[in-house]
Amino acid sequence: METHQLFKKNETYNGFYAMLLVNRLQMLYFFLIMPNILINPYMIWVLIAVGILSHLNLLLLSKWLLTRLSSNGYNGFVQLFGKKLVRFLSFIGLFFILLKLSVITLGYSEIIQTFMLPATDTNFLVFFILLFCFYVAGKGVEHTIRFVLISFFCTFWIITFFIFFFFPPIAHLSDLYPLIPMEWKVENWKAFFLILSSYSGPEFLVFLGPWLKTNNKTFRYLSYGNALTVVEYVFLFIASLLYFGSDFLSKSQYPIVNMARYFQNPVIERTDMIMLSFELFNLVFAVSLFLLLFYGASKIAFGKMSKPSSGKGLLFSAFLIFIGMVLVNELFWKSWEKQTFLLNLQIIAGSIGYFLVPLVVVLVMRKRGG
Amino acid sequence: MRLHKKRCKRLILLFMTFSLSGCAPFTENNLIEEISPITFLSISKGDKGELKVSTIMPPLSKENKVVMSQEVSLLKEGVQKYNLNFYQEMKSGQMRMLVISDELGKDGIMSIINVLLTDPDISSRIYLVIVKGNFEKYMESQLDKDENFDYSFYRMLKHYEVQNQGELTVVNLHEFKNLLYTPYSDPFLPVFKLEEDGVNYEGTALFKDEKLVKTISSIDDRIFQLINNDHYLAVLPIQEFEVVLGHVRSKIKVDIDSSYSTMTYTVNIDTRIEEYRGEKQLFDPKELENMKKDIETHLEKQTHELLKKMQELKVDPLQLGIQTKRPFSKPMEEKKWSEMYEKMDIKIKYDINIDPLTDANSKRQNL
Repeated sequence: METHQLFKKNETYNGFYAMLLVNRLQMLYFFLIMPNILINPYMIWVLIAVGILSHLNLLLLSKWLLTRLSSNGYNGFVQLFGKKLVRFLSFIGLFFILLKLSVITLGYSEIIQTFMLPATDTNFLVFFILLFCFYVAGKGVEHTIRFVLISFFCTFWIITFFIFFFFPPIAHLSDLYPLIPMEWKVENWKAFFLILSSYSGPEFLVFLGPWLKTNNKTFRYLSYGNALTVVEYVFLFIASLLYFGSDFLSKSQYPIVNMARYFQNPVIERTDMIMLSFELFNLVFAVSLFLLLFYGASKIAFGKMSKPSSGKGLLFSAFLIFIGMVLVNELFWKSWEKQTFLLNLQIIAGSIGYFLVPLVVVLVMRKRGG
Repeated sequence: MRLHKKRCKRLILLFMTFSLSGCAPFTENNLIEEISPITFLSISKGDKGELKVSTIMPPLSKENKVVMSQEVSLLKEGVQKYNLNFYQEMKSGQMRMLVISDELGKDGIMSIINVLLTDPDISSRIYLVIVKGNFEKYMESQLDKDENFDYSFYRMLKHYEVQNQGELTVVNLHEFKNLLYTPYSDPFLPVFKLEEDGVNYEGTALFKDEKLVKTISSIDDRIFQLINNDHYLAVLPIQEFEVVLGHVRSKIKVDIDSSYSTMTYTVNIDTRIEEYRGEKQLFDPKELENMKKDIETHLEKQTHELLKKMQELKVDPLQLGIQTKRPFSKPMEEKKWSEMYEKMDIKIKYDINIDPLTDANSKRQNL
């Protein structure tokens, strides 16, 4: 039996993979609940505006990816920040990853519990999801990145079904009025940060430098991925406005799933169940990637970089994450008010992470490199 | 990863068996022999202000079917009582219709609608129907004659819903909810009357918010189908002129003046004459023109009366209020709109285009 190196680097992936990575990391849990926070039709413009902002972020990201430092992985970061700071930052990063992991996994399992398995405890669902992810992550970073292809093709087609809502009798143009904001409420700021947080995810590409083949076309591919996400978000949001009307939207807990529930098919009655199951591919991809990042970051944070990576270590971090998630589930997620707190925390953490990580990396790089 | 390959495979196998065989821990038991997936529920007013919930059990198997009803104060309590009284567990995943009695409709059905909306098992495609008469008694009398009458009823609603076949109002939960919750609109539902010979379509029930306030029938209902629901009618008989218009298609144009005091409601109709028993020479273009004018005035008068009725009741199933929405201005408050709507002068204009196809009774000219 060969000894498996989780972080070994045999091949690099081209821009197409970078595009898929950006797109799929942005289409995680939040797009399922987003319409019920955005509510107002004029938020379409905010979605697009923040999408453009996200473009600028990707520009910074691509600058970093183009440098020689990024392809050095850990050593590159050490050169940039110094060993101690890298350890400290990794330690903080662990919480960010755990928070993101908890929100997307628990959110997804709760949807599964609501729509498919009402009697099952979400902790079991989390266990099975993590089991899957452990298997994928166990194949190493290379294979996990490659898994994005499967994840993309298993989930992208789902959105095409929603075209159904753009035709009469459901679609009325007046559902999209007023198109410009007449007043700006406090809740709209929450919606703004939610959008920013939904677009977050690509900042994790900062750490995947060694596995990405970069050239002058990298930014183009990254922005294609981002543009695709913006189109998907705007498309889904308009569809939900047409289906629910902006007055009912805030009352629907899972608007996108409820819309999928409305599809009818003579063969499969519950199309939403099939779609939700396919959505699992995307979740498994993202969670596996985060699992590897979590393991890597914990190795750095606890100063174990000299030791080779092992399956046992990964298993241990998966176990830690499982315990963490069960705790978060019991303490926060199951009660509604605390869940909102956790969501708000992730909204803020996601926004800050996405905004700061590429910016800080590039700024420090400029300062050091001159 | 040092996990042995075989062990890995076994793990996956274990997981697959778990998930594929449906023995994931603590799932609901949905064995088909042990559940009864009801297809409809009928809700009416009980004796002491409670709800009377009835359905036919068992809905699937070839056993003798019985009508079961329970008097409960909460709708879901009814489901629980069924479970305690019947050997199969009741499931609502296959529910297709909800039959509501008109007395209950008059009291308001918001709470029932909310129960349906919050249950993820219940599809938002289920049909809502108002019935006049005792549906429970009717079910009992029907069971001997035709056990599958509930299915036939469902097929009928489904037939008229798909592609908007005209003829009758069919409303599902999603449409009802949207009309109920959006400002400037009031919901409506089909009304069926129970008679000796079966369930007969009577017309459309208009709701003021959640309460049934008026049932429109015959010509009013025909016009309602034409101007709102389907914009299509297979046949439109007009007895006054001894004529039947067939394949009537309509297009509506609504104009509101800037002060919101007058509304011009234009109905463009494309149709052909299917039957005529009068004395007019419809081959003569002039006569046809006269006929057209007569029909236009008649329909204008009828529609005007219908809209007047709606204004008096302050109901707006036609969603006329959304005409005031503009892309670049703040939407009007609902209260303000309803005040304006009441006083609004509505002008109806019909523009009919007729192709004469048959005139069996007319004498042919130039023969």
